[in-house]
Amino acid sequence: MSEDMNGGFEPVIIAFACNWCSYTGADLAGVSRLQYPTNARIVRVLCSGMIHPNLVIDALTKGADGVILCGCHLGDCHYIDGNEKAERRSDAIKLMLGDFGIEEERFRLEWISASEGPRFQQVMTEFTEQVKKVGPSPFKA
Amino acid sequence: MARLAEEWFATCAGCEVTILDVGEPLIDILKQVSIVHMPVLMDHKLYGQTGEGTEMEIPEADIGIITGGIRTEEHKQIAREMRKKCKTLIAMGSCACTGGVPALANLYTTAELLEKVYRGSVSTDSNGVPSVDLPELTDRVYAISEVVPVDVSLPGCPTTPETVVAALTALLEGKPFTLSTKSVCDECPTIRAKKSVTTLKRRLEAPEFVPGRPLSEMRCLMEQGFLCHGPATRGGCGGSEGTPRCIRAYMTCEGCFGPMSEKANPMVDMMGALSTIGLDPKQVLDRAPTFNRFSGAGGRLRPLPKR
Repeated sequence: MSEDMNGGFEPVIIAFACNWCSYTGADLAGVSRLQYPTNARIVRVLCSGMIHPNLVIDALTKGADGVILCGCHLGDCHYIDGNEKAERRSDAIKLMLGDFGIEEERFRLEWISASEGPRFQQVMTEFTEQVKKVGPSPFKA
Repeated sequence: MARLAEEWFATCAGCEVTILDVGEPLIDILKQVSIVHMPVLMDHKLYGQTGEGTEMEIPEADIGIITGGIRTEEHKQIAREMRKKCKTLIAMGSCACTGGVPALANLYTTAELLEKVYRGSVSTDSNGVPSVDLPELTDRVYAISEVVPVDVSLPGCPTTPETVVAALTALLEGKPFTLSTKSVCDECPTIRAKKSVTTLKRRLEAPEFVPGRPLSEMRCLMEQGFLCHGPATRGGCGGSEGTPRCIRAYMTCEGCFGPMSEKANPMVDMMGALSTIGLDPKQVLDRAPTFNRFSGAGGRLRPLPKR
C-alpha cells in the first residue's frame, strides 16, 4: 500500500499506543466513527514506557515511513511513571535520528487520553500529512 | 597434528601478545599444532621466499586465525585466500570481529583521512600522499565476516588468554565453541538500584568504593554517573572468574567485547539504557563513536553529513 488512488505516496506509519489511555482513545475514535487516514498500523502495548529506542529505530530503518508513540498524559500513567520513561527515551531517539540519516519529522511522541477520541483522529491526520510531506523513508529498498 | 595459519591486517598485535600471555597452557596447545604460516612469527612469505611468486601462497591449514580488520585491498585478497585454505577460520580480537579501533576511521571518507594525515595537520611538512607500491585503501574498514564467512569470532581488545585457550582447545577436540550471550551487566557483581544520578561524570573522578572490600559492595558505576558500556556489551571477558575485567580494576566497561549480537547497535542500546535510569543522553558528546568505539564496521559508523 505505497500508492493511493491518484498515484501519490502513502506512508507506512507504525503507531505504538498504550493500552490504558491511547489505545482506548483510538478505540473511542473508532466507535464514534471518526474518520482518519488508514496509514497507521496500531500496535497495542501495555505502557508507552516499554518501547525501547531499538524498536523505533528498527521500525524506521526497516521501511516504516513514520513512527508515533502515544501514551498517557504525564501524571496519569497506569504504572505511575512509565510515560516519564517514554519521554526520556523519546529525547534519546530524537537525538539519534540524525545519526541514521532519518528526518526528525518521522518520529513523534504524543499524550492521548482514553476520552480523547477526536484528538486521536486529529493527531493521526496531522502526522500522516507530516510524513507524506517528508516523502518515502530513505531506507526503502 | 593440526596445521595452523595466522595472518594480521589492521591490527596492533595485542591479540598476538595475548596468545603469548596464555602462558603454560600454550605449551600443551603447541604440542598439538604445527604452524605453517604466521608472518609475525616465521619467515614464510606470501609470494615466495624472494618474492619470485606470481600468485599468493598460503599453505592449507586446519585452523586459520586472522587478527585486525580489513583496511586495504591486499587485506581483502589475503582474507579470501585464508578462507580458501583454512578449514576453520577464526576472527580474533575486536578489530577482526567488528572493526575495532581502526574502524573509527569510518567516520570519515578515505579522501578526508589522507588529506588530514598527509597534508592537513599543522606540523606536517607534506610531500603529498604516498602511493607508490602501496595497496589501495578500501572505502571503509571492514570486519572479516563482511568479506568472507567466519567460523569463530573471539572479540575483545585484546581478546583474553582464557578465550583463546577455550576456543583452540574446543577446535582441537572437535567440539563447538560459542560466545556468551549475556551482557557485561549480567556478570557484574556491583549493586544495582535501578536509578542513578543525573549528571555524567568524567573518568577523571574516582568512583565511590571502599578499598579492600569486595566489588559486590560497590554501587554500579553507571548509577554513580560514569559512562559504563556494560548494558550494550557482550559478556565473557571475565573468564572463569566471572567479573568483567575492567570492573575488576574499578574502571567502566569500554565495550571491547562488542555488541551482544550481530544485529545489535550499541549506540541505540546505550541511549536506551541511559535514558531509562535517568541520565540525560544529551550529555554524551560525540555519540556515535563513543558507543561504537570497537564496533565501527558493519555500517555502525559512517561519515556523517555535514550540517
